[in-house]
Amino acid sequence: MTPSSIPRFDEKHRRLLEDCFRREAGSSTPIPGDDVDLIETGILDSMGWVSFLRAVETASGAADLGSNLNERSASFAVLLSALRDSNSTPGVPERLDSSRGIAQTPALAVIAASSFTVGSRVIPSEEVDRAFGMPAGKLRSRAGIESLAYVAESENELTLAAKAAQEALRAASCGTQELDWIVTTSETHHDYPSLSAQLHSRLLVRENCGALDVGGACLGLLNALVFAQSLIGSGQAQTVAVVTADVHSRTLTPGRVAGEFGGLFGDGASAFILRSAAGNDSNEGYRLGEFLFGCAGQYAAAIQVSDTKDGGLTVQFDGEALSRAAITRMEKVLASVELRSGIPRGSVGGFATHQPNPRLVALLAKQCGVSPSTFPPVAQVSGNLGSSTCGAALHEALRSASKQARHDRRPIFLASLGPGLLFGGGWLTPHD
Amino acid sequence: MTKLLITEITRMGPAFCVIGLQREREKIQSIRPIPSSRHSWLNFPHQRGDILECALTPFPGPSPHVEDRVLTRGFQKSATIPEPEIVTYLRKAEVSRSLPDFFECSVYENKTGSGLYAVPGEAKRSICGCETKNLRLELCANQLRATLALPSGEVLRDLPVVDHDWRGFVDAALAPNRGANRAARLERFLNSHFHYKLMSCPHHFIRLGLTRPYQDFCWLMLDTLLPLPQLEWLEEF
Repeated sequence: MTPSSIPRFDEKHRRLLEDCFRREAGSSTPIPGDDVDLIETGILDSMGWVSFLRAVETASGAADLGSNLNERSASFAVLLSALRDSNSTPGVPERLDSSRGIAQTPALAVIAASSFTVGSRVIPSEEVDRAFGMPAGKLRSRAGIESLAYVAESENELTLAAKAAQEALRAASCGTQELDWIVTTSETHHDYPSLSAQLHSRLLVRENCGALDVGGACLGLLNALVFAQSLIGSGQAQTVAVVTADVHSRTLTPGRVAGEFGGLFGDGASAFILRSAAGNDSNEGYRLGEFLFGCAGQYAAAIQVSDTKDGGLTVQFDGEALSRAAITRMEKVLASVELRSGIPRGSVGGFATHQPNPRLVALLAKQCGVSPSTFPPVAQVSGNLGSSTCGAALHEALRSASKQARHDRRPIFLASLGPGLLFGGGWLTPHD
Repeated sequence: MTKLLITEITRMGPAFCVIGLQREREKIQSIRPIPSSRHSWLNFPHQRGDILECALTPFPGPSPHVEDRVLTRGFQKSATIPEPEIVTYLRKAEVSRSLPDFFECSVYENKTGSGLYAVPGEAKRSICGCETKNLRLELCANQLRATLALPSGEVLRDLPVVDHDWRGFVDAALAPNRGANRAARLERFLNSHFHYKLMSCPHHFIRLGLTRPYQDFCWLMLDTLLPLPQLEWLEEF
C-alpha cells in the first residue's frame, strides 16, 4: 500500500463503519469520536458491540475481526486499524472507486450475453391447485402465482439447458469452440453423466473444455458465477458458460409432496457467457463485482428434502419459518451488498434475487424500501424455478438494461438462498 | 420448604442470576429464585450442585420468565451432588432438540448484526436444556461467545456465554500474571484441547436462556455449559 492511499482507504472504511454503527445503534445516535470506548461509555452493550462487529465483518469482507480485537478497546480507531491490517493481506483487491463512489472491482469477468427459457407448457395456477388437491385459486391468492411453466414430454434439464446456452452463445457471437469451461447447476438433475457432461456433448464444445456441476439449489447460480469469475480471474479461462436448468414438475408431483410446496415450482433454464474483461473488446455487458456467501444454520430445519428407500421423497417444509427466514436473510444480504459495494440501493436498476413466490418478492421490496418493479416478475408467471429463478431475473435485468442508453444503465444486485440456509449476494456494474 | 438443586449461576454485569431444579410430584422443573426487590443477586455464596432448602412464593412474572419465584426464607444447604448427577436431573427437566421448541415460540435473527431473540409475548418459558452435536467457544473482541449445533441441525451463532464459571475461567486465563499473548493462548486452547474435553465428556450438556426484555426483545444466551471448567486446565496453555 502506498502512503498516499492510506487516508483514502480509511475514508472508505470509516463510511462503512458509520453505516454499520447507525444500523446497530439507531440513526439518531451521534457518531462517536474515534477513541471513544463504545462499551465503557454505554453507547453499545457487549451484545451490541459483537453484533456491530459481525455486521462490519460481513460488509467489509474482513474475516474474523473479533479475534483480532481481544484485549483492545471497543473504539472506532481500533476497528479502523484492524480493518486496515486485514486489507493489507496480499491478494485482497481494492474495493471502491472513490472517484465515482461505486464499486469498480475485481474487474475481471464480464457477462457478455445471457438467455432464459422455460418449459413449453404454461399451466394456469388453478389447474395446479386442482392437481394437488387444493382449493382452486389458492396458489394465486396465497402466493401470487398466476401460472406455472412445465416441460413437455420431450423436454428435460438437458434440452432446456442446451436451448438457453445456444441462445446465449449466439447473443455473444461466441462459437462453442471458444468455451474454456461449462459450469452448470441444477437442483433437480441427479443423473450421471452429470448435466455439465451431457451439455458438453450436446453443445459439441472442445474436448479440453472443462465441465463442472455445482450445487447450492436455488443459490446455485451465484455459486457458479463466483467459480467462473475465479477461473477467469486466475487466468485459467477466457470464456465460460454458466448454465442453470431445473425441472421440478417431474419430481415435486402430486401424491409425492404437498401442494403448498410442490405447487410453487416450475421448470426453466438460464445461461450466461462470461468473458475476461481484458479480452472483451466490446463495451457491452455487465462486469461482475464481488460476492459474499455464508450459511445461516439457525434456519436449517425450515426446509429439508431427502430421498426415501422406496424411491419417495421426504420434504420437511415449514412455510412460515422459511418465508420469514427468506425475507430477513435476503434483506440482510442486500444490505451487505449495498455496504460493501458502496452502491446505494436506490440507484440499482434491477434486483436479480431468488423468488420463492411473488408475495415474498413484494414483501422484500417493501422491506428494502425499493420499487417492486425493480424485481423482474419471474415467479408470478413461471413459478419458483429453483436455481434458474435468479438466472431468469438476472437475464431480464440485463435485457432491460440493454434497451437503455449506455450512460443510463444502472448496477444490478444479486441475492439468493438455498436450503441450509445458504445465502449469497453480489453486484454487477455496466461495463464501460 | 422447597428443595432446590442449583443448576445455573449466570453473570451479566455485576449481578448473578440463579436457577435450580425442583421436583413436583414426578415432574422436574426449573425455578428461578429472586430477591423480593430485584431480578438478580449481588451475592450468591453457593455452588452448582448444592441442594438448598428455601421458602419460595409464586411471583406473577411476565412471560417468558414464568420460572421466577420470590425467596421468602433461606437458603439452607443440605447436600451437594456431583456434576454428572446434575446433568442427569437436567436431562429430566425442560429439554429440546430444535430451535422452535426451546422456548415454544419462533426465534428471530437480529436484522442488523448478530444474535437471536424471542418476542416476550410469544415465548412460553425462559430456560431450556439440550444436548449439542458440536460446540465452539471463541473470544470475540473480549466477549466470550458460543456457536453450537443442535440435534436438529440448526446452528446458533454468537450466543453470549453468561455461565458464571466459564466467565470466571476466561477471566483467570486472561489475568495479567499469566504472561504474554494471553488471548491468543486462550483461543488456541478453546480451538483444540477444550473442544476435545468438552465433546468427549459423557455429561456434556447445555442450557439456553432468555434475557429479560431489552428493547422489546429477549435475547438468547448460553446460560450453562457442562462440563464446568477446571482450574488445572489453566496449566495446559
